[in-house]
Amino acid sequence: MEIYILVKQVPDPEAIVKVKSDSELEIENKYFTNFFDEIAIEAGLKLREKFGGKVTVLTVDNKKVDALRRGIAMGADDAIQITDPALEGSDQFAIAKALAAYLKDKPFGLILAGRQAMDDDAGIVGPAVAELLGIPHVNTIIGLEINDPKKEVKVIREVEGGKEILSCSLPALFTCQKGLNNPRIPQVMNVMKAMKTQIKKIDLAALGLSVADAGSQAAKIKVQKYLSPPKRPPVKMIKEDFPENVKALVKLLREEAKVI
Amino acid sequence: MKFTILDCQFSIDFLKPGILKNYKLEIVNRKSQIGEEHIMSNEIWVFAEQQEGKVRKVAFELLSAGAELSKKTGSQVAAILLGSGLQEAVKSLIPFADKIYLMDDPAFASYTSDAYLINMAPLIKEHQPSILLGGATSTGKDLFPRLATHLQTGYAPDCTGLAMKENGKLVAKRPLYGGKVFAEMTFSEARPQMATVRNNTFLVNQNINKSAQVISISSHTDPSSLKKKVLGLEKAAGTKLDITEAEIVVAGGRGIKAPENFKMIEELSDVLNASVGTTRATVDEGWRDQKDQIGKSGKNISAKLYMAFGISGAIHHVLGIGTCKTVVAVDTDPNALIFNYADYGIVGDLFQIVPALTEELKKAMKE
Amino acid sequence: MEKVDVIIVGGGLAGLSCAYELADSGMTVIVLERGDFSGSKNVTGGRIYLSPLRNYLPDLWKEAPLERHVTKEFITLLGETNSATFELYSNRFNREPYPSYTILRAKFDRWLADLVSEKGVFVIPQKNVNDLIKEGDKVIGIKAEDEEIGADCVVAADGILSFMAEKAGLRQPFQPQHFALGFKEVIALDPKTIEDRFRLGEKEGAAQLFVGTLTKGIMGGGFLYTNQESLSLGMVVGIHSLNQREPREEIYKFLDGFKERPEIKNLIKGGEVVEYSAHLISEGGIHIKPKVYGDGILVTGDAAGLGLNMLVTVRGMEYAMASGVLAGRTIKMAKEKNDFSASTLSHYEKLLNESFIMNEMNNFKNTLSILENERLFSKYPQVISDLFEKVMRVDEHPKESLYKTIFQGLKGSFLSLDTFKDWLKFRKI
Repeated sequence: MEIYILVKQVPDPEAIVKVKSDSELEIENKYFTNFFDEIAIEAGLKLREKFGGKVTVLTVDNKKVDALRRGIAMGADDAIQITDPALEGSDQFAIAKALAAYLKDKPFGLILAGRQAMDDDAGIVGPAVAELLGIPHVNTIIGLEINDPKKEVKVIREVEGGKEILSCSLPALFTCQKGLNNPRIPQVMNVMKAMKTQIKKIDLAALGLSVADAGSQAAKIKVQKYLSPPKRPPVKMIKEDFPENVKALVKLLREEAKVI
Repeated sequence: MKFTILDCQFSIDFLKPGILKNYKLEIVNRKSQIGEEHIMSNEIWVFAEQQEGKVRKVAFELLSAGAELSKKTGSQVAAILLGSGLQEAVKSLIPFADKIYLMDDPAFASYTSDAYLINMAPLIKEHQPSILLGGATSTGKDLFPRLATHLQTGYAPDCTGLAMKENGKLVAKRPLYGGKVFAEMTFSEARPQMATVRNNTFLVNQNINKSAQVISISSHTDPSSLKKKVLGLEKAAGTKLDITEAEIVVAGGRGIKAPENFKMIEELSDVLNASVGTTRATVDEGWRDQKDQIGKSGKNISAKLYMAFGISGAIHHVLGIGTCKTVVAVDTDPNALIFNYADYGIVGDLFQIVPALTEELKKAMKE
Repeated sequence: MEKVDVIIVGGGLAGLSCAYELADSGMTVIVLERGDFSGSKNVTGGRIYLSPLRNYLPDLWKEAPLERHVTKEFITLLGETNSATFELYSNRFNREPYPSYTILRAKFDRWLADLVSEKGVFVIPQKNVNDLIKEGDKVIGIKAEDEEIGADCVVAADGILSFMAEKAGLRQPFQPQHFALGFKEVIALDPKTIEDRFRLGEKEGAAQLFVGTLTKGIMGGGFLYTNQESLSLGMVVGIHSLNQREPREEIYKFLDGFKERPEIKNLIKGGEVVEYSAHLISEGGIHIKPKVYGDGILVTGDAAGLGLNMLVTVRGMEYAMASGVLAGRTIKMAKEKNDFSASTLSHYEKLLNESFIMNEMNNFKNTLSILENERLFSKYPQVISDLFEKVMRVDEHPKESLYKTIFQGLKGSFLSLDTFKDWLKFRKI
């Protein structure tokens, strides 16, 4: 089975992110492989264990390739970096376009991605790639059952109020949610191998795309302004002892906050 | 194209090539819609997501928002509704919209992106609304990115605010980096400007009092061409709303100490008609289900009231509650980080406070 | 079992310095660091003295991300409600090559790890080494979770509670009096404000030590270092001394109390606490030094107990880096002979003994017993401050002659048997 995993390197959830100006953010230099992408990599590796084949990790990034190295360290066979100066300032749709351009002539059986990237929290690229490739997609899967890759597969998806069970034909794209699996921790020797791996770079021209397909001029959505999160006024600590404090709280919620 | 003239009202049916399905003609409003031209309109459309024939609350919130936004441009507000057995659903929507584009067909009973997209896309292309809004629900977040790609238009996901510029351009506010910063997004010239919006971002305005014209559209769908099929739904135990939809959420963290102790949190939630949330700690321990997890790798909630019991306030959790209107925290540690993110705080023993709070609330609700 | 040439356990200063030394040797070297990145688990007050290190790592310092070069030294004796400060400035401190710099570990260690990686060493984060693999007494590899990796030589650079040194049978059990706890806050402050408050030129720095009532009679002291855009403010308290105190004091209360003092409050005003960290410090010096070599193993840095309280300063970083380099040199020599036995690796101990490290550890071997003297931390600082205050005070009483004031003060406080005995001991510092 030919499996492709879309990965992205994002700031660590602990990294400090601040608004520097209307148009600029200050992001602490702490990056890691997007949490949900690791789940996707793990899912791909498990399928290769079951059906044989090849797992390739794929990213669109001009600078950072550690997510690709993480994929190799976990056990992926190959890593591809789509990189081009013209991609600077691209929105998610342009990124999806580049990925789809790469994938369209590959014999993929399955494409996996994380449910969203922890920087833009958008969840656009996965479904967008599926649309451009004309394949079905299912978001936020927490269960995946493939018995015969040539037949339909069963996926379980997280929805409000429960879990939805769907059947889907392959090839398809699934975005992975926490709970699908527990990503393996790479072994030292594999990390070393990954550090030495030559990563294939592909540019827009090789994808048959032009500068007009990428970058900020092609962007369909743009950031007009960055804002700090609204600051809550300092907490009102209820000083009374028990049980007066409970009564005081109810009163405040009723009369001041007016939420009950 | 067929015009049916009834009592000075026009209703327009569209007969599409392909498989003709039964269509219903429902004339409900009394406004005339003469000479509707198929040019770029400034209409605001809302995807009226429904489940089992009932329209989700977020759709009413967005129709209310649409009504407010449209004041600047004088636009019309329309709902687009797909499903099966939608009589009640249509009725509920009528006061909230100027138009309802209705697709009632068994093929739409359960949401699948392919069935919905195939049918929505041509309608949108034809009418070119300026704005298309949907709830940031699992359906919305599944449909909208794909639809936007299909329509080659811009899409802002999971928004926490919307504003309209004079020229009809939408400004969508959304969180980034888990909520550490926010961004105001604007759109290119492509239409419609699409956005999914978080539950509870807008209030439902019961006083809009519109009278929607219902326009029935026949379905294009050949069921055999669909690549996905919903086999079933494993409903979560209990009848409470998902934490992303609930107006009030009460949550317990590691401080609850044991899974059985969640019972008192649940009793509190019953009194408040709230949903019960939790943190990653308890989910990883196996005490609570992941669907209730609030935080970076879980869900973001926008409740009007959030109460945290025995939750220390680690960053990955508190980012999930940033847009809650009122936050109450109870913890034994006066230095707990959670107090930095709360409006009201009590340093105390939750095992005492929660049952007392439940009792006190029962009394207060009775009055 | 997969095998490499050298496994360095711990990606702190000792481990990375050893890796740096070995980087051009042609050997396959891996550094296993348990933190998310090098520096994430390391803490210093702090300030690094470059003069001793320039011989060991001559090329490192041009590009290294250091904070300010220290041109001013302060020592402050704290009484309950007063304090006396001694300030030293020297042109020598302000001339290149600068003798010392303030430093932030998260930044520096991370930079060093990247540098070492670029040179071909594999620095692997998020890897916890659980055990050594031995053949009899000979160390032949390590075990990290489920993985076993072999090596010609293992370098234990895993810090103050070194498990590797313990597993190799080289270390004795710990005793509380050999350790202190250091804890600090990094307080962000505008560089110009820092320079104004400490009266420094651009990029110049200050280092300040505090001793006295801030530790409430417990062995220890306080420190304040100026970084480029922040202040490092913290305290060190002896663990044994801390444990003996009844009722138990919460650590954070010490620092809060310290920050409330007017002397400190005005220095940090307007600053924002951006980091809080704590770390154990080895103060036992030569008394707790384990055996630093064995068959197939060398021990460096804090893991080798190479930390020293010199009263006016605490040393650790320079010892870590120098010992790491010496371990690296030893391994290169052993590789040439293809012999990693204890007898060959004992060369490392010889190098250590010849170096400034062991010389200083020997010279200051009596510090610990001095530090056990409680009067050092309560009485003497108070008395000296009081004395100064008396000398400087002009009030409604006619001021007595200076000699009289000083003599009265000294007689009252210093003329006692205890003080005489202390004086005898102090000669050993």
